[in-house]
Amino acid sequence: MTEIPDGIVLKRDRDLEGRQYDVWIRRGLMSLVAAVPVIALFNVFGQRPETHMLVGPAASLKIYAPDRLRGGLLFEGRFHITARQDIKDAYLVLGPGWAEGMSINTIEPSPVSEASNSGRLSLELGHIGAGKSFILFMQFQVNPTNIALGRKQTVWLNDGSDRLLTFSRDITIFP
Amino acid sequence: MDIALRGIVLFLFVYLLTRVIGRRELSSLQPFDLILLIVLGDSIQQGLTQDDYSITGAVSAVGTIASLRVLASWSAFRFPWLRRALDGHPVVLVEDGKVIEKNLRRERLTIDDLAEQARTNELASIADVQWAIFEPSGTISFIPKQ
Repeated sequence: MTEIPDGIVLKRDRDLEGRQYDVWIRRGLMSLVAAVPVIALFNVFGQRPETHMLVGPAASLKIYAPDRLRGGLLFEGRFHITARQDIKDAYLVLGPGWAEGMSINTIEPSPVSEASNSGRLSLELGHIGAGKSFILFMQFQVNPTNIALGRKQTVWLNDGSDRLLTFSRDITIFP
Repeated sequence: MDIALRGIVLFLFVYLLTRVIGRRELSSLQPFDLILLIVLGDSIQQGLTQDDYSITGAVSAVGTIASLRVLASWSAFRFPWLRRALDGHPVVLVEDGKVIEKNLRRERLTIDDLAEQARTNELASIADVQWAIFEPSGTISFIPKQ
């Protein structure tokens, strides 16, 4: 019988007694690790834009923006307004959830004016004739420390002080 | 504060990864593994410090990871029952020139891998090996027959 190296316990290290499940634990944990990118493919962790369509008697509004985001992500919010009637002075009003912890890199085309409307971001778009479209592109970046679960993002489309459409959604920002 | 929390989460994730990926993959540094390590480091760095270019941020991140590493090794030293989970135990692959195939399969090693490692240890044949032990570090120790 040859000498067993120091620190080696044959039952444990050769016969693997009490270690028969280790490999299954390892496989299980590895499956969990591998599951993360698979889940990500299904947009669970976001970035893929969602389209929301609202139709009212005076206008329709199509919003194209992701509702699941991650810290540091650059993304676009596209607001497509189609006037069914003449809108004399269109205002797109964004709730604070759109700006909270976000960098707004650019708004194209630039609004006629920007103002605060009871804490909301009010963007004056001007006149949109009946049957005409107006597409507002906003480029955002999520601040790296911004984390959110079910934060409200509300959009109002107004003609002057008259409310034409209201839309609200919840966003999730993963760390 | 945020960096410390990120550091803790990423440390735990990387620790888990090193335990579940398998010793073989960790110990071998083939060209692809080297590239993988660089990509891994780069991806982790972005999640860790993001746009923080400050010295304070770097010190917080490195300090968190270094402290957790020391804590993990101290825990493994202080509590033997934790050692199995944190570091793992060795696995005997060869005893008295005979390959223990069950153990070899468990570690996803082939006879060729073993023979290659034996050759790098100046052992021409596995039959000349008294003990071959797959260490928790991922290296294979060979003790030749007398």
